[in-house]
Order: sequence, then C-alpha cells, then structure tokens
Amino acid sequence: MRDTSKRYQPVTGRAILYGVLMIVAAYYLLPLILMILTSVRSMEDIRMGQLIAWPESFSLEAWRQAWSEVQIGARSETGLKPYFINSIKIVIPAVAISTILGALNGYVLSFFKFRGSDFFFAALLLGCFVPFQAILLPQSQLLGWLNLGGTIPGLVLTHVAYGVSFTTLFFRNYYVNLPHELVKAAKLDGAGFWTIFFRIILPISTPILVVTVIWQFTQIWNDFLFGVVFSDPSSQPVTVGLNNMVNSTTGETRYNVDMAGAIIAALPTIIVYVVAGKYFVRGLTAGSVKG
Amino acid sequence: MAELNIKNVNKSFGTTDVLKGINLDIQDGEFIILVGPSGCGKSTLLNCIAGLEDVTSGDIMIGDDNVTYAAPKDRDIAMVFQSYALYPNMNVRKNIAFGLEIRKMPKDEIAAEVERVAKLLQIENLLDRKPSQLSGGQRQRVAMGRALARRPKTYLFDEPLSNLDAKLRVEMRTEMKKLHQRLGTTIVYVTHDQIEAMTLADRIAVMKDGIVQQFGTPQQVYDDPANIFVAGFMGSPSMNFLECSVVKTADGFGVQIESQGKTFELAADPAQADLSAYEGKNVVLGIRPEQITHVMPHVESQPFVTRVPVKIEVTEPTGADTLVLTHINGQECECRVHPTEAGNPGEQMDLLFNMSKAVFFDAQTENRI
Repeated sequence: MRDTSKRYQPVTGRAILYGVLMIVAAYYLLPLILMILTSVRSMEDIRMGQLIAWPESFSLEAWRQAWSEVQIGARSETGLKPYFINSIKIVIPAVAISTILGALNGYVLSFFKFRGSDFFFAALLLGCFVPFQAILLPQSQLLGWLNLGGTIPGLVLTHVAYGVSFTTLFFRNYYVNLPHELVKAAKLDGAGFWTIFFRIILPISTPILVVTVIWQFTQIWNDFLFGVVFSDPSSQPVTVGLNNMVNSTTGETRYNVDMAGAIIAALPTIIVYVVAGKYFVRGLTAGSVKG
Repeated sequence: MAELNIKNVNKSFGTTDVLKGINLDIQDGEFIILVGPSGCGKSTLLNCIAGLEDVTSGDIMIGDDNVTYAAPKDRDIAMVFQSYALYPNMNVRKNIAFGLEIRKMPKDEIAAEVERVAKLLQIENLLDRKPSQLSGGQRQRVAMGRALARRPKTYLFDEPLSNLDAKLRVEMRTEMKKLHQRLGTTIVYVTHDQIEAMTLADRIAVMKDGIVQQFGTPQQVYDDPANIFVAGFMGSPSMNFLECSVVKTADGFGVQIESQGKTFELAADPAQADLSAYEGKNVVLGIRPEQITHVMPHVESQPFVTRVPVKIEVTEPTGADTLVLTHINGQECECRVHPTEAGNPGEQMDLLFNMSKAVFFDAQTENRI
C-alpha cells in the first residue's frame, strides 16, 4: 500500500497559503470597506449607534457634500471639487512631461552614449535619493525667481524636476535590455534620431510607459508636501483640500463626509491601478525574462 | 555594385587597439568572408564599413567615394545582423518597406519592391505577420529581405546563420550562395565558423587580434596557410602540429619523428619549404589528418610518403572516415583512415604520412617557412 498521507501535503500547503493571502487581503480591504460603509451612513446613524456598524440607511448625501458643499477653510468655493480639478491640472501635464523626458533621456543614455554619459546617468540617479524636504527651500526660491510661486505651472515644474530621475531610470533600464542592433538596423535604413525614437523605440515601450505613468501618477496625485508648500489657495491639490476639509470642523466631526472625501481623493489612483495594474506587474518584470 | 577598399584602418576603444592596420581590396561582386575567433575584431571591422563605428585612422572607399566619415545611410550598404534586429512593432511588410519609406520612395514602388523581395525569398505568405510570430529561419529570411529591398551596392552580414539550428544553417548557406550568384553584388560576411567560410567565400580574410593574418581564396588559405594560427583555424578536424628536428636526408631535408620508441625520417618536399637553414633545429610540422592515412599501395609508392607504425589511442568514427588519435613525438596527432581499416584502441596500426602537402612553421615566430 502506498502512503496516502503524503498525497495531501501539497493540498494542505496550498490551504495555508490561501489562508495567509486571505488574511493579508482582508487586512488591506477592511479599512476601505469601513470607509465606504461609513460614507453611506447618515450622521444621525453614526451619532446614535457605533462608529463601526452596518449602515441603517443608505444615502449618497455625504458624497455630495464632500464633493461640492462642505465648507473648507474660509474660502468662498465649497467642496473638494476645485481641489480635485487642480490636482488633475497638475497631474496630467506633470506625468506627461516627466514621462516623455524620461523616455528621451533613457533613449539617449542607452543608444547614443556620449562622453560622460555614464556620469550623467549616475548624477541623475542621485536625484532619486533626494528627500522632498531637502529641496523645499531652494525650490521655493527658484519658483519665486521664475514668478511661478503658488501657481499650477510651478507645481508642475516641481513634480517634473523631481520625477525625471525616476522616469529616466525606468526607461534607461528598459532600453539597455533591447538589442542595440535594432537601432543600428534603423540607422542603416536611413532613419534619424527622432524617427528611430518615434517609429521604433517608443512603440515597443508600452510596458515601461505604463509602469512610469502609474508610478508618476500615484506619486504626484498623492503628494501633499509640495502641494501644501508651493501652492496658494487657488492652486491647492486635492490632498491639501482633504486635509483642510477634515481640519475645518464646525462643531461635530462628520465622519461620513470625511470618509467620502477621502475616497474621492483616492479614487483616481485606485482606478489607474485597476485599469492598468496587470501591465504594471508585466512592466516591472519586463526585461528579466526574454519575450 | 562597387568595389570596396579598406586602407590601413585602425580602430581603438580608449587604449585598446581593436583593429591594427587593416588593408583589404575587395573586387566588385566578390563574396568576402571575415573569419576569426571571437574578439578578433571582425565584427568591429564590419561595423566600421557600415559606418556604425568611426575608424580611428585610415580610409574606407566604396567605388570611387571615400565614405570614411559618411553617415551609414549615405554609404549605400545594407546589413543583416546576427539577432536579425527586426522591428518588433511592425509586420514583415512594414519591416521590409521601412528603409524605402524613409528614403521617400513612392508608395506603389514600395509595394512592388516588397512583392519582388518576398517572391525572391519565398516569404509572400508571411508579409502580414509580426516578427514574434515567425520561426528563426523565417526571421532570417525577413532580415535578408529587408537588406535586399534597398538594392544596395554592398551587403554586410554579421554572423547571420549562427542562431539557426545545424540543418537549417546548411540549407541557408546554400541559399546564400545561390543568392549571391544571382545578385552578383559585393558581400562582406562575418562568421566564426570556418566551414561557412570555406564553402561560401570567394576570398577569406582570417583575422586574429585585430590583424588580417591571411587574405586569399579558400584553397590558398587551406593549402598555404601563412602561419600556425591560420593553419589551425581552418579545417576540421584541425591540422596536426608536431614539433620535430630537421635532418639531412639522402636527397634533401626532412624531419625526424618518433613513434613507440623508434625514429623515422620523413622526407620533405622541397617545393613546400626550403629547410636548409633549419638543419639540426626544431621546426613545427603541420600535417592535416587526411594526409595521414591507412596503407594504400598506390599511395605508398609515391614520393614523400613514409610508412610509420603507431599505437591507436582513441578512434572517432564519423561515418565516411574514422579519426584515429595517436602520439607522435609525444604530441597528439589525429589521422583520417577508412572505417574498415581502422583498428581498435590499444592496437598497433601502420599509417602513411604523405608529406607532399605538409607545411613547416618556424617554432619561434610561428610563421610559415
């Protein structure tokens, strides 16, 4: 007779694995679920019952308030909407510009090496290790000189300058794994610098483009420090708006509105991950396995 | 079509000299092979011809044009790479058409040219596929197609067959030769495979350490190697090199060899080398395995043939012949005998050393005597 107990060992192992994964998933999901549940409860419900409880009633009133009605600080416009729009105005150009610059830098550093290009790359990489706080003073000085202090273009410039180290690193590491003969062949076919970039290199950069866009989008959208330091009330991003909203209380803490506001502020990054998440993983591992 | 002249080309990367005074005069329509071990500078030379690397000094002429400092696209050359370097984002048709589009050829002419090339290489049914959907051999054809489409003066091939499996490689080799006969354009072809070099080339340039060791027809390079390196590199199994001393024989000079404690004198053909200056000194005898055979009466009666008994150490049957390994002068020596004549390892066997094609090298300089 064969020993049958061994046959079940992989099954048991798998069960433990899934068990652990479920606990980890729950650990991450529970706060979100709690936020959603709280955001659809009424203040009445929250005040009378427990802070953590199943909703007695369902209402999107708190979402409406957080989006357009809640008084934030002393400004005349209400709700998170203007902040949200500011964030979009900052994120889209900042992500686009830093990604394109990163792609170009990576392209040059991989295929058009020049004297000192390795030093240039190393110096650029140092930028990844500069903490946000370290550049606050010089950057505000610079924005002042450029007359961009407290403006959306000023914030875009700050995020582009800060992000270009990361985007260059991503693209350069992706491009060094591409066969150099591809560029040689294109040169012999008569293509120039820009033609090779736009017709050959960029079209095969999709995985790393997705990674870079997600990375930059998350970084810039979630940024609070630059947003609070280099802005004035008309250009504050949603993270600052949310902070101000939670801190501007009139009597009682409206948990449902706070929760709805927090979800609104986090929604774009969640959507980006859900839509492009699988490309993100694919892009991160690209190059490690030959396609 | 044009001749290609490479004049005293040097190339250094920093302090490393990769090419040292390369001179090659290539006739219009010649099939030239650059062959050598990896790191000998053959691919660098090809890149210099293509214009993908700048030369440090020297001139490259295509026809009457000095193209030393011309951009790759202005040299009217096409290149096929080892990795094929097909554009992964484009289908086969676009891959072939890309160079023509860049050169602003009218659309209908491009379509006609793609058709012509596809027909020539029998890849018409693959035109709408992406490179990732092709097998190795098909990719190779597409890479050739891309080169053919531009109808350049000169073709450069950088180890185009080395990524194919053995059978396909032999097939493509034949096709390559047919193609060259049909097109009649100048081809410079880099390989490290000496069989490819022998079978394809009109002339072979054997390179080592950035220097052209010998430039000649396959038969010249095989029969008249300039030095030990060339002699050992060309031919498989490679030539035997036996260090032995020169002795005076009845009518000329010869070398002394030792097998199983007995010494034998092998008379040298004076047409092959004048050994008079080396009497009493050591030289390196170069003799190919096929010049050491089993005893055949009609061969034994020829001049410069000596019968030597040896001890068989290892036998390697290849089907057509059996290779017999033995020791001469304490050095390994491989011999090619008929399968039915080969003995078993450990046995004794008589072999005929045919010296009529043997070559001699200076033991110090390793150059041909």
